[in-house]
Amino acid sequence: MRTATTVLLAIAAMPAPLLGQRWEQQVQGRLARAIDVLPTSSRLPVVKRSGMLNTDEGASFQTTLVQRVSYVIIAVCDDDCSRLQLTLLSPSGSDIAKERNSESLPTLRFTSDTTTGYGIRIVMEGCRWNPCWYAVAVVPLGRNSP
Amino acid sequence: MASLKRWLAVGLTACFVLALAYLPPRGAESSGKSPFVGQPLWGTPARQHAQALADEWRKVDAAVRLLEDRQRVTRDSLRASPTIVFRGATLPPKDVHNVETVMDSVWRDLGLGETKVRVTLVIELQRPYSSDTPTPLQDRVAYLAPDSTHRTTCLAYLPAGPYWTLFILGKRHEGFGRFAQWLEAGLGPCAFYAAYGTPGRSVESWLVARHWDVGLYLGSHGIAGERFSSLDLLGNPSSSWYYWDGVYSFPPATVACLAGRPSGCRAAVLAGAAEERTIPIPNVVLVERRWWRVQNLLPGERYLGDVARAVGRERFLNFWTTALSVDTALAGTLKRPVGEWTAEWQRGFVHPIRLGPTPPLGGVAIALAIAVLAVVLVSVTASRRQVR
Repeated sequence: MRTATTVLLAIAAMPAPLLGQRWEQQVQGRLARAIDVLPTSSRLPVVKRSGMLNTDEGASFQTTLVQRVSYVIIAVCDDDCSRLQLTLLSPSGSDIAKERNSESLPTLRFTSDTTTGYGIRIVMEGCRWNPCWYAVAVVPLGRNSP
Repeated sequence: MASLKRWLAVGLTACFVLALAYLPPRGAESSGKSPFVGQPLWGTPARQHAQALADEWRKVDAAVRLLEDRQRVTRDSLRASPTIVFRGATLPPKDVHNVETVMDSVWRDLGLGETKVRVTLVIELQRPYSSDTPTPLQDRVAYLAPDSTHRTTCLAYLPAGPYWTLFILGKRHEGFGRFAQWLEAGLGPCAFYAAYGTPGRSVESWLVARHWDVGLYLGSHGIAGERFSSLDLLGNPSSSWYYWDGVYSFPPATVACLAGRPSGCRAAVLAGAAEERTIPIPNVVLVERRWWRVQNLLPGERYLGDVARAVGRERFLNFWTTALSVDTALAGTLKRPVGEWTAEWQRGFVHPIRLGPTPPLGGVAIALAIAVLAVVLVSVTASRRQVR
């Protein structure tokens, strides 16, 4: 009886989940799980970005990719999102690779010839309840042998 | 001769009185209407200019206040229903709690819980007028829709007026039920943002073009009572000229829809949908003082709410976030032509009015009798006339 009361009190004392963060927590959880299954061996940091977009809106950011390191760029979105487009852009702004077939989990693989800044663009192509949350991670897998 | 002078004086005095009644005061502009129609006083050009400037200032001031409030308001992250902020007076915690309790109940009645777009309700309590500073907007409801800088906040500005100010301050106790209705109606477009998120570009452009007149009220009851809608503000069709004066002040498509014509209903619903316009930033929706007189559809305030209830959440969300034109998306969602569905929807509120001349039967009979009598008299006279 005492144990049950202690458990109940412990549950009551736990902070309630903050409202409005449900969708953000959802995409952060998904991104963490997606990163976990990748065989990362690099000491380079994982770059992460997240935000929210309405249908047909896009966002982009810059990140530096290191020479001869193989990267996986992965994007996830919340339950209301049906299609997310992920594009890797060259320093001059032209498309290098685009993934729009994987619906809500687009993934790109890329190894840079030089260490330089690349652009990553995310477009929310389908969201049935706007805005939809998304998160992107640039995961270094390891250095390729020359 | 004396009698003639007296009649002349009476005639001139009557002309003077008529001129006083019908001509605008010196310096004021005529409305440009027929001189045989009574004209309201328009004020001098200087006064009109001052009033127009004051009106512009109030609109800009309201927009700035909404933007400031959006920056300043800290949301209670444990409450699913709207955060409520009071302006104009500091309320004791008990009174704030009372209003929040009513709001929570309204939120549940609307079927809302945790939403992607959250609502902040700013209730402006009536302040005494000051002659030193310009009077801020205190009689018009305004909304600040989510935009690219604040995607998850919709702000509703609700002036309480003297009646609800006293009620909120605990100085008036009657009207509890109507207070909940007032709060529910005050959520306006923010209730739609909360329930269905930010609309797609074509739908948002359509709603902005028509000042959200079809999405002012999400509730299933009337906007100010169980069955009370903007149609009731027109009055009774059988009792007064006021009703018909009101009816014919609306655009032709609105009147045609009131008469149950699907083509009119279609035009009334799709007004503003033809061209996609830029969504302004900040996207401030300022509701007209007499919004029920400038609607394109009656009772338009509940139209989208009724569409959502009729088709269900999933289908309505497809329409709400569509990339198609409003016309195509709405017909697809309703699974019927927009005009037909809307005409049937309107019949649920008002019996289709009769358009065109409708002389009373007695009047027609008397007029025909007089016409026949005149023809008979002329015929008889003509037949008796002899030419010598």
